[in-house]
Amino acid sequence: MAKKLMKGCEAIGEAAIHAGCRLFFGYPITPQNEIPEYMSARLPQVGGTFVQAESEVAASNMLYGAAGAGCRVFTSSSSPGISLMQEGLSYIAAAELPVVVVNIMRGGPGLGGILPSQSDYFQATKGGGHGDYRLLVLAPSTVQEAADLVIDAFDLADEYRNPVMILGDGLIGQMMEPVEFKKEIKPEDLPEKPWATTGRAGRQQNIINSLYLDPEQLEAHNWDLHRKYQRMAKEVRYEAFNTDGGCDVLIVAYGTVARITKTAIDMAREKGLKIGLFRPITLYPYPTEALVQTAEGAKSVLVSELSTGQMVEDVRAAIAGRRPVGFYGRVGGMVMGPDELVEQAEKLVAVHV
Amino acid sequence: MHNEIVMAGFGGQGVLLIGKMLAYAGMNAGNEVTWMPSYGPEMRGGTCNCTVVLSDHPIGSPISKRPHALIALNLPSLDKFEDAVRPGGIIVVNTSLINRLPKRTDVTVVPVPANEIAVEVGTAKAANMVALGAFLGASGLVDQKGVESVLVEAFPNRQKLIELNEKALRRGFEIGQGHAAAVAAG
Amino acid sequence: MPSVIIDKDRCKGCELCVYACPEDVLAMSDEINAKGYFVPIVAHPENCTGCRYCLLVCPDVAIQVENKGKVTKPPESLTGKPFSYCPGCTHGVIHRLIAEVMDELGIQERTVGIAPVGCSVLAYEFFACDMQEASHGRAMAVATGIKRGRPDLTVFTYQGDGDLASIGMAETVHAANRGEKITVIFVNNAIYGMTGGQMAPTTLPGQVASTCPTGRDVTLTGYPIRVVELLKSLRTPAYLARVTVTDPKNVLAAKKAIRKAFKYQLEGTCFSLVEVLSTCPIGWGETPHDACGWLQENMVPYYPLGEVKVPEEATVQAGS
Repeated sequence: MAKKLMKGCEAIGEAAIHAGCRLFFGYPITPQNEIPEYMSARLPQVGGTFVQAESEVAASNMLYGAAGAGCRVFTSSSSPGISLMQEGLSYIAAAELPVVVVNIMRGGPGLGGILPSQSDYFQATKGGGHGDYRLLVLAPSTVQEAADLVIDAFDLADEYRNPVMILGDGLIGQMMEPVEFKKEIKPEDLPEKPWATTGRAGRQQNIINSLYLDPEQLEAHNWDLHRKYQRMAKEVRYEAFNTDGGCDVLIVAYGTVARITKTAIDMAREKGLKIGLFRPITLYPYPTEALVQTAEGAKSVLVSELSTGQMVEDVRAAIAGRRPVGFYGRVGGMVMGPDELVEQAEKLVAVHV
Repeated sequence: MHNEIVMAGFGGQGVLLIGKMLAYAGMNAGNEVTWMPSYGPEMRGGTCNCTVVLSDHPIGSPISKRPHALIALNLPSLDKFEDAVRPGGIIVVNTSLINRLPKRTDVTVVPVPANEIAVEVGTAKAANMVALGAFLGASGLVDQKGVESVLVEAFPNRQKLIELNEKALRRGFEIGQGHAAAVAAG
Repeated sequence: MPSVIIDKDRCKGCELCVYACPEDVLAMSDEINAKGYFVPIVAHPENCTGCRYCLLVCPDVAIQVENKGKVTKPPESLTGKPFSYCPGCTHGVIHRLIAEVMDELGIQERTVGIAPVGCSVLAYEFFACDMQEASHGRAMAVATGIKRGRPDLTVFTYQGDGDLASIGMAETVHAANRGEKITVIFVNNAIYGMTGGQMAPTTLPGQVASTCPTGRDVTLTGYPIRVVELLKSLRTPAYLARVTVTDPKNVLAAKKAIRKAFKYQLEGTCFSLVEVLSTCPIGWGETPHDACGWLQENMVPYYPLGEVKVPEEATVQAGS
């Protein structure tokens, strides 16, 4: 298939179809409305079903039902809507159901704004709803990567029987870039899910459930989930850019901010300052080991986010005092320019010479 | 090669469309491209802008604080972005709706009465195409033919619209090209 | 001669069978079963006509009837696990009716049921079909997900009044209005049973509950919601009916309605909901038998029985 110029949101929708997903449940919210709009037009063309739910709470529970019945299914929303979906996500994680959830983050808290933000990092990577659970979280920084990660997300969700979140921001969702879809999975070729509630013909009854009234059983279930999350550690993905031979400042950033960092790297080079980029692609599991190794070649570390400082906590825990770790954030929908990152890097170098 | 172009105007002037066409043409010519719209309440009828980046290497930031070029279809757009354009850059000014020329002396200014020309061509709606044509003529950034081929995708199965827009693009292109030649000749 | 067979281990001594028998065949005994309940005995076997009234009202599938060499059997669509409900609670009757309908329609192997949060949270342990446990109020959203993904499956939800008419009212109205091709069994007992007897959206005016200790004050809490009448104002739903299971005749009418609600789904007709007025003897502070009387005297006048909406083409007789 030839390259097509697509909005991030549309590419995400098309990628889901290429992943063999034929079901979408969602509720409108800016800045991701292009995803439900795209699915509402596209799914009927491929024999799929689009349902505009009455709320995000309902949408997340529709996901639960469909995933429990063995279907590939996804939803998308933006920050306030994702908060409403936490009920369903907690139950989905507990019942170990594979679903894909896209969060095109906007500024918060509360109603916040509709411009780009990365302030849902804690919510995405530390569980989000009630109980001890984790989502597998993927953070694309280009439209092509968003499409590729959506397709991978469905496979990862099935493999681990766990919800997978694509964590993007308004920029990734609204931007157009060339995209190429490299694989096409047909729903009929997907492996059977013997645990799903598909009618009990020829087998024992299947039950999708998250209720464990016996504390010993619940404890065992909690540790089982925990071990699963530990197994997911092997899925870590990251990009280290301009870090060979070490660097003056290693900027740790994901998604949109990582792109801006790449522009900052070019600008800094003209000034004789070497900036490297460490870009986590999986935010959970977090690429801690790779970060520590990459940071060994850097004089100092600068974490930059569209938040007042969330991922920086994970970076500081990983670096554990071995390098100075600075932070630079813009919030409220404001996006830093590459010049701001260069300036911050220069400051860090001046302080830690 | 690395070019950041901001296009701005009223909502409804077709700013996003010419941005997409430029991005498409850039992609078809083998470049890396990004197209980034302004979004928000301003999407509905207010001012509207988008940023297109064309580059021969992977693009970092898709937004631009210092664009290489500005296509201003109305006065608020010129007011907002004039100072941001890099020295040596290009500002296309739609003189049909903008009653002043840029104050900047370190950029190439391409004045074009886009709305009048569009009316002459046969559709007032094609002012955006005239302005895009003028930019392409002045910058030589993307082959004009490359942009015309994109019209077929922008207006599928609407031959009449394609022809009208092609005409508008060409009229703009000639103005832009002539202007660039005049500037070059000093 | 017909005879009544009592499974003493399943019995909870609710006495409903004793009251239901028109021929005084059954009587309570001094015998205590393993669970600690007094169980009924067949005191006058010679009077038995084989009418099965005892079987119909038994909430614990503890009674079978032998007649002309044939013995009734518990429905195969139940797992056989003893119900977790309080003695005399009519949840058990409603479970049995749904299971009988699944058996008769031969759909057990293609049905997915949705258990709610509330007293029937463990329903997935009692129905023998595939089951999903939903979060509080979301059973119809879960059902929507299953049915839209797998239209070949028969999908039903089993929900109480707090679940369906309070926290899940948005899901209820919208699933009904979208015309989801699902069957909803709505158990209305006018109280929150599992959490200990708090006020429900269906609690009657003046009725005492643990969060309205002086009785429901309609000036503060409004009037109880009549769910089927409310849904009737929507154009989409196909079948809406209200029944109860307080006595043999009503049990038979309830089964008829439940059967229709499943049959319509099999025929591709959209949304069917059967509201079943149910007792909560513990929550109401009544004996099981008195609870049935209280329901008839207080709930039925406010929540009239019958079919309030039937599929447009179908000609269906009004309920009993």
